[in-house]
Amino acid sequence: MSTDMAPVGRTAKRRETLAELFVVDADVHVHEDPAELAEYADPPWDVALREIATVDERYLDLPGMSPRAEYRVPFPGGSNRRQIVTSAREMREGLDELHVDQAVLFPDHLLSLAMVRDPAFATSLARAYNRWLHERWCSEESSLKGALVVAPQNPVAGAHDIRAYAGDRRFACVYLPGSGLKTLYGNELYDPVYEAAAEAGLPVVIHSVETVYPAFPFQLEQFRTSLAVHALAHPLSMIANLVNMLETGVPVRHPELRIGFMEAGTAWIPFIANRLDKEYIERRREVPLLQERPSTTMRRFYYGTQPIEEPERRADLVSMFDLFDGENCAMFASDWPHHDFDHPQHFLGLPFSPEARRKIMGLNAAAFFGLDMPR
Amino acid sequence: MAGEYAICKLRELPDGHHRVVRVGGRELGVFNIRGSFHALPNLCPHQRGPLCEGGVSGTIDYGPHTDFKLAWIWEGEVVTCPWHSLEFHIPTGRCIAFDDIRLRTYEVRVVGDELRVVI
Repeated sequence: MSTDMAPVGRTAKRRETLAELFVVDADVHVHEDPAELAEYADPPWDVALREIATVDERYLDLPGMSPRAEYRVPFPGGSNRRQIVTSAREMREGLDELHVDQAVLFPDHLLSLAMVRDPAFATSLARAYNRWLHERWCSEESSLKGALVVAPQNPVAGAHDIRAYAGDRRFACVYLPGSGLKTLYGNELYDPVYEAAAEAGLPVVIHSVETVYPAFPFQLEQFRTSLAVHALAHPLSMIANLVNMLETGVPVRHPELRIGFMEAGTAWIPFIANRLDKEYIERRREVPLLQERPSTTMRRFYYGTQPIEEPERRADLVSMFDLFDGENCAMFASDWPHHDFDHPQHFLGLPFSPEARRKIMGLNAAAFFGLDMPR
Repeated sequence: MAGEYAICKLRELPDGHHRVVRVGGRELGVFNIRGSFHALPNLCPHQRGPLCEGGVSGTIDYGPHTDFKLAWIWEGEVVTCPWHSLEFHIPTGRCIAFDDIRLRTYEVRVVGDELRVVI
């Protein structure tokens, strides 16, 4: 947390307010109720979803559907804020308070979709969710755009679903679950997904989550606290997928595909870019597809800001963004309504230039997701 | 405005309860901890969340001062910000994670059957 927080309004030149800025929130979360999903699921999975709905759920933890394997010992206390949003109207009202103009909807429980063991259920769950999201959320509020989920257990079915919605502007991207993944996203198995997304003009966004066990990132079960697991699971998921995608040349093999990474903060980006550039000098012949420094390719990817790092000196964050050209590839994301959401007002107070602020808080995301620009 | 402001009737804030009030142009959280009254600003210095709308509990401590034994301390004396779970010790205003951050604390007086806060 920053300890040099300056009161708003101290600077000589007036800063644009949130109400004046065009704010796109690249990542907010909807709560998918299994009983509602059952209405959109193919048989016999609707029966299973109604059974799942009879079990009490906890935060991002629903036996049968969201295999979190949560073994933390509970003590009383902690945030008492409601951390789920169950309707488009409730989301719009929450985002109005945050001064967010447009937002991209990601799931709650389906953050753990990669860990669903039965591939047929995972595929059906993704399909039911997409139908539900389309009808109950994106059709209700035009400023809320959907992230169409693909079950990594079945990329061919995912490609089919992408094509089924191609041209439908209610979806702004394809969401690929980034944690608890058996096969990383550089694998050629996912080519059908990338081809369909590129054809449909939809970017793909890899979104991570705090996983513990038993899948990638491995060995997180050795840690005792959420402090450790949360700090590692998100950036490790990103780093592993990004590196794998670069070594197999995903951005070269699919040059039209726009690729984004969500919910791991940004400090990992300059770190891995520098490591890869160093390796590239010696090992270019292993990755002849790339034809340029990995960090150059990485500047064509987009990155969500949340959970934004909070260095003691706020200006350090601006310096860090400079290291990966964040002005042109970072997208403000709040993660509303989750436990570690970032308020846009906090981002507004950071010492970015007015131009960088406008890009990161809205224009970059509008370009990446193909959203309507403000009039 | 400096002064003494009425908050509520004494019986309206029983032991273990807290509430957020607007007085003298400020928003404060007022707490009854085992019959002793405390008030803090309803503003978290982290991202300006509504701190005192958070829940009250104890917290966990561990270190040389607990003989390296896990201890549950300050039962009923810790308020947790509903936004990002930053914890504060209510009687002292001390931010538990960042010892250099202290919230202003306000004196709460019992006058007859009324609670008043001094600003």
